[in-house]
Amino acid sequence: MAEKALKTKVNEKWTSRLARRGLPVLLLALFGLSLILSVGYHFTQLTSGTPPSNGAEFLYFTFVTVGFGSLWFWMKGYFQERNDSPSKLLWSVLVSGLFLVAIAGFTARFGTVTAGGVELPLGFAPGTGIPLTSPTIIKMMVVSIAQILFAFLLLHRFQQLVLVKRTRSSQRNWFIMLILMAAAALLTVTKPAGAPQNEWQNVAFIPAVVFMLVNAFKLSWIVFLSFKEKVATIGLCFALVLLLILGLGIGDTGSNILVPRSFDYLEFFFVPLASFVKQASMFGILYCMTAFLSLLFHLPTTGDYEQREGERATIFSMAHLVSQVFDAEKLFGTVGSAPVEAGSADFSWLAMPDYQSGSLQYRVVSTHNITSERVGELINSDLIIEDLLTDRMPIIVNRASTDHRMNVAPGNSALGSLLVTPLIARDEVIGALFAAKRVINGFERDDAETIAVFAAQAALAIDNSRLFEQQVEKERLSREMSIAREVQKRLLPQNVPIMSGMSMAASSVSAQEVGGDYYDFVRLGEHKLGVIIGDVSGKGTSAAFYMAEMQGIFQSVSRLADSPSMFLHHANVALGQSLDRNVFISAIYAILDLEKENLVIARAGHCPAAIVRLSGESRYIRTPGLGLGLDRGELFQRSLTEESIALQPGDLFVLYTDGVVESRSESGEEYGYERLLSLLEDHRHDDADGIHAAVLRDLRSFIAGEEYDDDMTLVVLKWHGIPLDSLISQEHPLHETA
Amino acid sequence: MSNFSVGFRSSGHIQILDLKGELDAHTASELEAAIQKCQANNQVHIIINGASLMYISSAGLGVFMAYIEDIRELGGDIKIAALQPKVYNVFDLLGFPMLFDIIDLEADAIGKFDPSNA
Repeated sequence: MAEKALKTKVNEKWTSRLARRGLPVLLLALFGLSLILSVGYHFTQLTSGTPPSNGAEFLYFTFVTVGFGSLWFWMKGYFQERNDSPSKLLWSVLVSGLFLVAIAGFTARFGTVTAGGVELPLGFAPGTGIPLTSPTIIKMMVVSIAQILFAFLLLHRFQQLVLVKRTRSSQRNWFIMLILMAAAALLTVTKPAGAPQNEWQNVAFIPAVVFMLVNAFKLSWIVFLSFKEKVATIGLCFALVLLLILGLGIGDTGSNILVPRSFDYLEFFFVPLASFVKQASMFGILYCMTAFLSLLFHLPTTGDYEQREGERATIFSMAHLVSQVFDAEKLFGTVGSAPVEAGSADFSWLAMPDYQSGSLQYRVVSTHNITSERVGELINSDLIIEDLLTDRMPIIVNRASTDHRMNVAPGNSALGSLLVTPLIARDEVIGALFAAKRVINGFERDDAETIAVFAAQAALAIDNSRLFEQQVEKERLSREMSIAREVQKRLLPQNVPIMSGMSMAASSVSAQEVGGDYYDFVRLGEHKLGVIIGDVSGKGTSAAFYMAEMQGIFQSVSRLADSPSMFLHHANVALGQSLDRNVFISAIYAILDLEKENLVIARAGHCPAAIVRLSGESRYIRTPGLGLGLDRGELFQRSLTEESIALQPGDLFVLYTDGVVESRSESGEEYGYERLLSLLEDHRHDDADGIHAAVLRDLRSFIAGEEYDDDMTLVVLKWHGIPLDSLISQEHPLHETA
Repeated sequence: MSNFSVGFRSSGHIQILDLKGELDAHTASELEAAIQKCQANNQVHIIINGASLMYISSAGLGVFMAYIEDIRELGGDIKIAALQPKVYNVFDLLGFPMLFDIIDLEADAIGKFDPSNA
């Protein structure tokens, strides 16, 4: 199975290769066959000594036409993929032409035939045209094929030049010329070798010559050449003209110089081919001469053209600019070097305000052919930029040494003239592009215009690059903030502790990704629990940092402090070292002791905790106390007052941050302390979860779709009054709320 | 956009700042700028008139904390007068009355700066 599959695969490969290579092989086979047949045809004449019959002549006509037609199309396929530079192309034609002419010339001079006392240089019987010796036939074949190859090669290779910047019509003109040449050649089939053409045959040449002239002026490739290439190409064209005139020649008989009686052998071989080669030679000479003259005329303007080309290239490189918006440094480099690259300046630089540092002072961000230090020495950028910002138009300084904004001594050739172009994006000057020349009066109006066009595009690209950077920065920040939020979430308790006889619920939401609210629990013994709530002044990132610090202090100090006021005092001292002067933290710390059945609470500037008893008695526990960080000395400690509350079954304690009572309805009304307290009274029979949910529900309906604009934390503790001996300590996941 | 503004008045050498609207994290910088301006003009006897101040957040309170020490070191003071009850409650909860002179009437505050005029 596998073997069969492999075989099929090999077969497929073989057939596809045949399909690809089949045609060229077939064409070469046809050509080879026609060569053999034509040699046979001429030998038959040689041995029989009689001219061929009309039928044999027709057959010869057919297979030679088919054979050389095949050769033509084979060469066409062979050269189709080539795309050489003009000079390389002309060079290859010249070298192969020299080689072929050398073969033809050498073969033609090799031996002569004498018959009946008359020297016949070609070796054909006069009148009948029958070859007299077999070397004659070989010589004829070699000379003819060399000349035909040269002609075909010339046409195929020149096709590439003629069709540079091809249009539909230029392509059509070229193929019409080839068809007319072939047609005129085929018409000469009735002409005996060596005889002059008749009128009809002459007339048939005229259209071919007309199209030769048309195609001879297709010289677009010349303008793309550099000065050096042009000089080289002039030489090549001249050499090719010489080779064509001396090797092939013009007219019926051709030249007699490199190849004696150059076209005669061809005529004896096949008259239409001789005619075709003559026409090809004529076209070659014509084309090389027009190219030669055109190159000569173009030489002096090459410099200007190259500069224009450079400027054009700069304009085109704008598309390139767009692709660089992801790399600001690279973009600055491209923009800063553009005037030099375009050939409009000797050195150039780009100056922009330093956005990163927030300063509007311009600084050089990229230079070309000069250093930033040198720029600082040569000109007073501030003055120039001041003018640029006022006028928002390009500034041309024709004579740097006389301009007050430059530090150039007269006669100093470091800086002659300067062109400063503003980069304007979204109606704002975002930078300045400096182009400088060592000569005075170096900038014309059109230079300013070209650079202005470029500057507009460059400004756009730089602006886009900046927007892109901002976007990236924004996304990076938002990623970091979401990481911060996750970290902060972990600073809050993941579970509420479970104590028998107690129910607890807690939640915290931040108005921004991170906030300054804090709550926590700490086990101080089997029957003792510490509860803290805190609120860092301000919002967002800075508040979040202090909240994290508060968490650290609570986790480490709470176990060491006997009483809430002691803990708050320690916390105040610890925070005093790190809090900014304008930052403070309000907090409540309460210690719940189920053994003693009491709650000791101290308040450091925080919204007072609410207590609601089963009887409906309710109040805020508003003990005096300064916020943490408001006083770093004794005043704080003196201000703190603890309150101890004996627990009664059903007692409800609610701790919260100001985000709860300061929540606003659509009409701007605050939620307030009264509403909170009366809601708690209404729900005093529920357990902590139920009360927690009721408060959040009421808040949400109160603000009615408004955004929370402050951090909001709510901690609910309820003492149910279960006997102590059934106390257990375990934890369960925090109720998902808010 | 901002619904907070600071009005400047003076009474002799005393600079009176009339706060209007809501002082929160977004508007705190305006009060900061106002107090900085007083400092720059060497006016360290400052009365904050809160008659039209409808709301103050902790960030707003922070502004007072940020400058009080400097002002007092220069021999001046920031006195707070005529607060709305709700706004006074916020000051009071945090214990600000222990740190600042918070007075009902602006005239009394002026009097506290200038006992001779009282």
